[in-house]
Amino acid sequence: MSNSALQVARTGLDAQNTKMRVIANNLANVNTTGFKRDRADFATLAYQNVVTPGAPSDAQNRFASGLQLGTGVKLSGIGKINTQGTLQNSDNALDMAIEGSGMFQVEMPDGTTGFTRAGNFKLTAEGNLVTSDGLPLIPAIQVPQGATSLTIGNNGTVSATLAGQSEVSELGQIELANFTNPAGLLSVGNNILTETAASGPPQVGQAGAEGLGTIRQGALEQSNVNIVEELVNMIETQRAYEVNSKMISATDDMLQFVNQQI
Amino acid sequence: MDKLAYTSVNAMKSLMNRQTAIANNMANSNTVGFKADMVSAKAQYLNGPGHDSRAMAVERAMQADMNAGTIKQTGRPLDVALEGDAMFAVQGTDGKEAYSRRGDFNIQASGAMITGDGYPVLGDSGPVTIPPSDRVDIGKDGTIFFVPQGGDPTQPQELGKIKLVSMTGSAISKGSDGLFRVAGDGALPIDENARLVPGALEESNVNMTAALVDMIETSRAWETQARMLRMTEELDDSSANIMSMPQG
Repeated sequence: MSNSALQVARTGLDAQNTKMRVIANNLANVNTTGFKRDRADFATLAYQNVVTPGAPSDAQNRFASGLQLGTGVKLSGIGKINTQGTLQNSDNALDMAIEGSGMFQVEMPDGTTGFTRAGNFKLTAEGNLVTSDGLPLIPAIQVPQGATSLTIGNNGTVSATLAGQSEVSELGQIELANFTNPAGLLSVGNNILTETAASGPPQVGQAGAEGLGTIRQGALEQSNVNIVEELVNMIETQRAYEVNSKMISATDDMLQFVNQQI
Repeated sequence: MDKLAYTSVNAMKSLMNRQTAIANNMANSNTVGFKADMVSAKAQYLNGPGHDSRAMAVERAMQADMNAGTIKQTGRPLDVALEGDAMFAVQGTDGKEAYSRRGDFNIQASGAMITGDGYPVLGDSGPVTIPPSDRVDIGKDGTIFFVPQGGDPTQPQELGKIKLVSMTGSAISKGSDGLFRVAGDGALPIDENARLVPGALEESNVNMTAALVDMIETSRAWETQARMLRMTEELDDSSANIMSMPQG
């Protein structure tokens, strides 16, 4: 029994369902610092050749166009849309936002390097600069006890006035990493992305140099999710889901009718 | 049994194909740059003795509806939508030139520019490869600008043009990979006047309302054919009854 219309509509339902999940995740992260929205990209599945275009129709002629039946849709990928999020002042000396491209590097529990745009850093009891999950920044920055007026320059230079000194001393330099294909990075959760073969190796450099963005102290980059856009996408996806389910019920009715009539 | 049944069965086979094509259009209502498929049937007469009443419906031509889809603003620098009837030239998996309206480009780690469904984008001189760069933009005429790594962001450099071709007057058809090709290995002429909209995408041109109406129409046509089959059975039944010997 040919039930391919059912199967084709099913691929449509699957794809729209996944898209809805991506939209839900974007909306859920509307307030996540440094979050970059995802976009679901669709592609057609391979067409099935019933009559190949150009095949001979008789001794003299050929079919100008063939008969190829589509087999549905698939998700070709979920890419990050790396546009700048709004910067929000937080007046917290340890908050950093990147204006432009680049990512902070952090040391993952397994020793590899993770990359993040979320700049809500904290200090540990030992004075190390870490993410809110406790992952230390690379290169490590240690703020000695009693240090005051911690300043992070646009180029990532960290300086502070140490206890008992009047001069400002430099504590370290924050470096940013950039990728040829940032959309190819792997999201591992907790705002962290990791390097893949698709993203290429990181190009590390000083903030503000070599096309890397500058660091803004006392600000946080907000999520780049646009609620209105996501809501419109949600409605569009819902309607597409509905027509695909209508197709399933229509085809089901057709087959049911035949079963009853014959 | 009368051969009428076969005419109906043939029609039902065609109608299921048509329904599959409509289902595929609906499934791809959110696929960037997708062009809806149109199935048309033709009557194929079987000539023989007697009245010429048997015309089988045979699905023959399947063409893509090349009307433009809605253009949606995305703001992403590598998203481009084509104006008019131009097309992007891409490299199919067979290494030959094929055409697409899909403008959601990505840059791979190797620097190759690919479409959202993974085909390398062709430029004036073969596949487009972008050197390590901080920013890539595409101009309205398809010219690629890039800021090399560590370069001055106010001085973008030019890196050739994306190959934009015109499909006017050429017979193109969709291949099994969803890309368009010219019949008989030809190539489309370069369109010097092609314009594109940067930061936007051409959405699928499937008209949902029309697809739903087509779907209902196909369902009803299917039911008519199924009734026809039932009718054939009844006709056969009655003739068998007339012929049967009276029972004791």
